[in-house]
Amino acid sequence: MSPQAIPSPEPQLAAHSPETGSARRRRSRIALSAAGRVGLALVVFWMIVALLGPWIVPHRPGAVVSSEVFAPMSLRFPLGTDFLGRDMLSRILIGARYTVGLALAAALAASLAGTVLGLLVAISGRWVEEAVSRILDAIICIPSKIFALVMVAAFGSSVPLLLLTAAISYTPGAFRIARSLAVNLSVTDYVQAARVRGERRLHVACIEMLPNMIHPMLADFGLRFMFIVLLLSGLSFLGLGVQPPAADLGSLIRENISGLGEGAPAVILPAIAIATLTIGVNLMIDALPGRGRRTERGGAA
Amino acid sequence: MSGSIPSLIAKRIAAAALTLLLVSMIVFSITSLLPGDAAQAALGQNATPAALAALRAQLGLDQPAIIRYLHWLGGLLTGHPGRSLSDGLPVSVLIAKRLPESLLLAGLTTAVSVPLALALGIVAAMYRGSWLDRALTITTLSMVAVPEFLVATAGVLIFAVELHWLSALTFVLDHPTFGQLLRGYTLPVVSLCFAVTAQMERMTRAAVIDQLNQPYVEMAALKGVGLSRRVLVHALPNAVGPIANAIALSLSYLLGGAIIVETIFDYPGVARLMVDAVSNRDMPVLQACAMIFSAGYLGLVLIADVCAILSNPKLRRS
Amino acid sequence: MKHDESRGSTWQATDLPRRQALRRLTAAGAVVALGKWASPLAAAADTPRVGGRIRVASVASSLVDTLDPAKGALSTDYARQYMVYSGLTQFDSRLGAQPGLAEQITSDDATLWTVKLRSGVEFHDGKPLTPADVVYSLLRHKDPAVASQAFTIAQQFADVRASGPDQIQIRLTAANLDLPVILADAHFLIIKDGTTDFRTAVGTGPYRCVDFNPGVRTVGRRNPNYWKPGRPYLEEIELIGIGDESSRVDALLAGDVQLVNGVNPRSVRRIRASGDCRVHETPSGLYTDLVMRQDMIPTGNPDFVLAMKYLLDREEILRAVFLGHAVLANDQPVPPSSRYFNPQIPQRVHDPDRARFHLRRADLPSGARLAMYASPAAELSVEIAALIQDSASRVGLDLAVDRVPPDGYWSNQWRKHPLTFGNVNPRPTVDMLFSTFFKSDSPFNECGWKNARFDQLLLAARSERDDEKRKQMYWEMQAIVHDQCGLAIPAFNSILDGLDRRLKGYGSIPIGGLMGYNFAEYVWLDT
Repeated sequence: MSPQAIPSPEPQLAAHSPETGSARRRRSRIALSAAGRVGLALVVFWMIVALLGPWIVPHRPGAVVSSEVFAPMSLRFPLGTDFLGRDMLSRILIGARYTVGLALAAALAASLAGTVLGLLVAISGRWVEEAVSRILDAIICIPSKIFALVMVAAFGSSVPLLLLTAAISYTPGAFRIARSLAVNLSVTDYVQAARVRGERRLHVACIEMLPNMIHPMLADFGLRFMFIVLLLSGLSFLGLGVQPPAADLGSLIRENISGLGEGAPAVILPAIAIATLTIGVNLMIDALPGRGRRTERGGAA
Repeated sequence: MSGSIPSLIAKRIAAAALTLLLVSMIVFSITSLLPGDAAQAALGQNATPAALAALRAQLGLDQPAIIRYLHWLGGLLTGHPGRSLSDGLPVSVLIAKRLPESLLLAGLTTAVSVPLALALGIVAAMYRGSWLDRALTITTLSMVAVPEFLVATAGVLIFAVELHWLSALTFVLDHPTFGQLLRGYTLPVVSLCFAVTAQMERMTRAAVIDQLNQPYVEMAALKGVGLSRRVLVHALPNAVGPIANAIALSLSYLLGGAIIVETIFDYPGVARLMVDAVSNRDMPVLQACAMIFSAGYLGLVLIADVCAILSNPKLRRS
Repeated sequence: MKHDESRGSTWQATDLPRRQALRRLTAAGAVVALGKWASPLAAAADTPRVGGRIRVASVASSLVDTLDPAKGALSTDYARQYMVYSGLTQFDSRLGAQPGLAEQITSDDATLWTVKLRSGVEFHDGKPLTPADVVYSLLRHKDPAVASQAFTIAQQFADVRASGPDQIQIRLTAANLDLPVILADAHFLIIKDGTTDFRTAVGTGPYRCVDFNPGVRTVGRRNPNYWKPGRPYLEEIELIGIGDESSRVDALLAGDVQLVNGVNPRSVRRIRASGDCRVHETPSGLYTDLVMRQDMIPTGNPDFVLAMKYLLDREEILRAVFLGHAVLANDQPVPPSSRYFNPQIPQRVHDPDRARFHLRRADLPSGARLAMYASPAAELSVEIAALIQDSASRVGLDLAVDRVPPDGYWSNQWRKHPLTFGNVNPRPTVDMLFSTFFKSDSPFNECGWKNARFDQLLLAARSERDDEKRKQMYWEMQAIVHDQCGLAIPAFNSILDGLDRRLKGYGSIPIGGLMGYNFAEYVWLDT
């Protein structure tokens, strides 16, 4: 599992030369490395699985189809059976849908909220900044799994609640990055120029700053997606995943964990599914152009 | 040294106090939404209205929520964080039992993961683009990509159940020998390292590469300064800021995020205490744990920022 | 295989001194209060060895861990308390009552009972046991301020007082033949007169409490002055709780603990394969049931209830959820192992056609989506719910599973929705089972059903001394529950414990795992 709350620290402290805004505008050279292509292929594969899952399942994912639990892979059950004798292929197809869907939606929500708040702070006064920062700091302080535990205990586990909880937990991290990007951008010449021109704050934020934040925020979105996948699987360990008989990939590992001793595919395959999904996303992000922080950005600048 | 550091620390402490207050309010508001209370949690399936009423009166739960919160806050400010609703012990006693255990586990994990992550990150940066870099990338990503409960369980199965080399549980001993520490703590420490090392390694690599690409380091390369010297003498000191930040964030995970490892190894740390407190609706304990996690997080981030400033002459002067 | 997994019914009377066990009163009208000794031990082949240390892991441990018998609520609490305290009576392998601190308990009318205390019993601090201790231990449950788990049961103690230097009289509010059995319950363990501080324990039990750290561990050291000569055998026992089942079993297999309870049927294969450890299976009256509230819609509709009962695929549940470590149940709570079990009620089977028929008659509003509330708090209910959900979907009934966290389940979900799951631990007597969970006015009447005939039989049976007549009454009551009560009971779970093969003297007391929580005084360690 990942460090909770903030996967990546602020992209840079003030000391580090900020990305020079205008130079980076609209750079659209797409040249994925081999690793990036592998990542892209994995991500596309899981997206397709998530989209088509319900239409290609061989069995109802809740149906007990075998009298053997933790059955090995066979022609009849290509991915074996689970702890109750249900078909693993069907369960993984549906599980991927939950994991990908939930993580995608929550990461999107967190990144959007973080970006909006980051921009808001950048164009507002000190008091707004203080208020927003303190509240988000308070959220980031609470360990995300324990926050989720309390939320589920209070409101009951459901897909919207898990989504909301994950989004809230990861908004502060996105906010910190968006804020520092926005602060760096706000001192650039063209933003200053726009201010001098007398543009309204909202205009400055949306037209001058936002487009320059998209690339780094996209990279951050990818990371956030991965960490939400891992948070969800951590929650499933605590028994807080999606409602049975459905199960996200983490819950599949959790509910079949007693098959680990016998090397049951029911526990190994969902783990491989999570690993390929998260590694795929990471490889893709690493290969994205203009992602600024973790690749060799100097050479491109 | 200029006055920037003391004033930064003072400002941060003031902000931290405010943040802690907010945390306590958030924790309190959410927990007051929890169904049931400490009395129901204690009586469980056998709760009858009479027994419930009696226990509620005994625990002071018959008072309005806001009064209980203010009472708790007042107690905290005067140095009395209250008593556990579950077993009547002072919260400070409970925390004093659990916190050292959490810190020991976190400390051991830090001692292993930080040097490891730094070394791997620097090596990856030095040989970026090489097969070694790619192998390290895939390895560290795979480490973080597998749910930690699976890592821990698999480790237990192999090294404790099959080989009997290590212990499946981590017992707290009064005066552990090195051998006992090794036997009991290896698996939980390794599981936690899986969770935190990758992030630190990736950030170290990125920060060092960032510096290696700076004109002054490229200049040094042109002057014929060797790669290791460029990395260690030129790039690394200037990369301390982001690295310290990454380390701080990863380490803050070791207190609250250790819940899964604490559960699997039956380790009496603060995270499990907090989960227990949620289950038992034990407000004073829950709040105390939240305060500790938050203070730990804020403290680590502050230390990281101070490191960043100290390491950077430009910031020091400003 | 061997006697490890042998069933409760095969136990033989063994090595315990019997002379004190039975003291039949021959005076006219006197009631034989204490039954025939049914030892929980398998026929012991070896001589117990004194010494050694074991670590035992139970299913849960948290800050609410307690040494107060009134507050005990979980198996870990009971095990801890039986380790340090003794009761007036003790359970045997058939859940009969055997003499404990009481040498005998007698009554003429089942209302006024006389307890004669064993002489020479000392608390761990050397203070001799007196009637005052017993009076205090029993009466405190009636005090609402104590908030005792046994508050309701204790209401039948009209009066408890010392009637001699080693005698106590207990007057009940109404006749109850089962008092000796009730007194074996963990809540009625005997503490010292006036005890209010439970940070440590001073009892008369087999082990002295040397460390008690809630949520972490309890350590008991052998009590050399235990009132059963020669016992206990172990030098020290450390009791911990491991909430996560797979961690608990791993700890056993790794040799970190020597005894665990709450083994999931899925772990049985692994434990057996290990060679060093074994599984001890105890068939019991433990069941997880689907509760259909009679005062809610649509579960109050008799057709809906019948539909659900026919919908239940018991064979599949037995196979997939319990992996065979359970016996079929028949929608009534008395297990086949009970001597009052009614074998004449035909077994209800999975019948989708009849389920459909009754569903049509129940006339559910279309598009209604009912949720079954399940929780890990009710053993295996989440898995059972998943199977019921699937069976229901096959007859066109859309049921959702709402899994909720274990904390707060019993107070906030159980019985608060039309469909929830209950989990009923074995009760020592049919009367206790029926009175607690089925009597119309019981606060724990799970489905809220009311049946006048049932209540009338219950009261009559309680004071019926003719065992055959009592049996007929219990049979009729089982039939009534089977036909009319809003409970679907799929199976009686076996209690599964895992233990190190070197641990000897282990047996079954089918009130719960860990030898009915009483392992401490029986087990010994072979070298």
